[in-house]
Amino acid sequence: MATEKEKIFSLLKGVIDPELMVNIIDLGLVYNVLYDDEQKKIIVEMTLTSPSCPLGEVIINDAEGILKIHYQNFTVNIILVWEPAWTPDCLTQQGKIALGKN
Amino acid sequence: MQLIASKNSPSSQIIIPHFVFGGFCWLVATILIIFYPEAFVQHYFNPKLLSITHLLALGWMTIIIFGALYQLIPVIFEVKLYSEQLSFVSFILLATCSISLAISFWNFWIGMPMYISAAGIIVAVILFTVNIYFTALKTKKESIEKDFILTSVIWLLFTVGVGLTLSINLRNPFLSLPTTELLKLHAHAGIAGWFIQLIIGVSSRLLPMFMVSHNLNMKKLKCAYYLINAGLISGIIFLFIQWQVAVIISVFSVAIGVIFFLSFQLEAYKKRVRKQLDTGMKQSALSFIFLLIALILALILVIDFKKAFSITLQMAVVYGSTLMLGFISSLIMGQTYKTLPFIVWLNTYRNRVGKAKIPLPKELYSENFANIQLWFFATGFIIMMAGIFLKITSIVSSGGIVLFCSVLLYNFNILKIVFHKPTTLNK
Repeated sequence: MATEKEKIFSLLKGVIDPELMVNIIDLGLVYNVLYDDEQKKIIVEMTLTSPSCPLGEVIINDAEGILKIHYQNFTVNIILVWEPAWTPDCLTQQGKIALGKN
Repeated sequence: MQLIASKNSPSSQIIIPHFVFGGFCWLVATILIIFYPEAFVQHYFNPKLLSITHLLALGWMTIIIFGALYQLIPVIFEVKLYSEQLSFVSFILLATCSISLAISFWNFWIGMPMYISAAGIIVAVILFTVNIYFTALKTKKESIEKDFILTSVIWLLFTVGVGLTLSINLRNPFLSLPTTELLKLHAHAGIAGWFIQLIIGVSSRLLPMFMVSHNLNMKKLKCAYYLINAGLISGIIFLFIQWQVAVIISVFSVAIGVIFFLSFQLEAYKKRVRKQLDTGMKQSALSFIFLLIALILALILVIDFKKAFSITLQMAVVYGSTLMLGFISSLIMGQTYKTLPFIVWLNTYRNRVGKAKIPLPKELYSENFANIQLWFFATGFIIMMAGIFLKITSIVSSGGIVLFCSVLLYNFNILKIVFHKPTTLNK
């Protein structure tokens, strides 16, 4: 049976980078997920492929929106971090395939 | 939590008119190419070619670049634009004065109509410069991209200033140099100082971001910056004092600087994570090939100009057209698909993301039309250049017709994006 953390990762697969057309999990943008059932709190630590990414706000809003739909009684907090910086090594195998990289 | 670049975006109402007006001027220019091809097969100092060139350089390229910069400066500098009101006034002035300047050149009205138009353009550029520099003051982040952008704006100011001086000198000559030599100075300050440096500054940040390229050698950009500016400043001085050998060395300095930039972009292309390029990126890649061709032509021209005057005069027009149409226009057309859909999409769907199913930015325009536009452009451009080189007006016109078809499709896509109606489906 999937844990809540796994469920959250699975939900975040529905958040697509509108420029790259790949979801944020396969892009390796999500670094950490914290699920607190007692305090009804979800914290997601994530990054962007570049600090200049003009779609950052959209991606974060999308992630927050999806989690709020499925966890209506929870506070959802998306924290944007730049350390460690994103590199192509963060891509999953699926992400590499989606971007055409072997 | 860090600031997010997109939160600094200005209102799309400021940016969109630049794209619509620029696209319209580009379309008018292709119509003029079809009906007045003789402008391209004679000496470049003729009223019709000057008119078409200024319509393209100001009404099409500079206007669109201004609009795109208002969106991109907050992304690159990571701060909000200093003033949207200044952008609006600058747009109105630049748009009206570009048209009146083109009409003045067409009819060769050297006098008040030309002076007033040139003065209006200078005011528009001053407002733009104030806006960009005050925006830059808000950020402490230093980068070579920022240096390129800020320096290019100064070169634009210099170019339009020289433009007004030239127009006064045409009627009341007070400068010792021949007008054609002064024209070279004005044109290269504009092309290499403004357009190329601005393009280097913006594309060095954007293209690696679109291709997802990391670990690039930024020293190449620093070398490009110093070589281009040293070459430009020295070239202008040497051209003014007519020291030919030193002018050639200056041209080589600019050319090597541009090669450093091309090498940076080639590195970004080779290191890209995203393997497949969309139509916008393909047209951008095509533009860099034309830049390389223009560089080769520049070197041939500067070394060999006096030996084979009859051939090199046509080559000079091919060189200018390759830079203006082949490189700058092609890059702007390609990058329009990487900026305008996102501007409109962000404006329309920013508050609906995550709440409803919405279209993607690339679904705001026809990818098929963009593809056909690219092929028409490449074909039309090559036909036109052949016509100019062979001095056959019917071939120039034929190339103009194919270019017109390309620009018509481009305008169709611009309007399709701009007039996009929001569509949502509940999740």
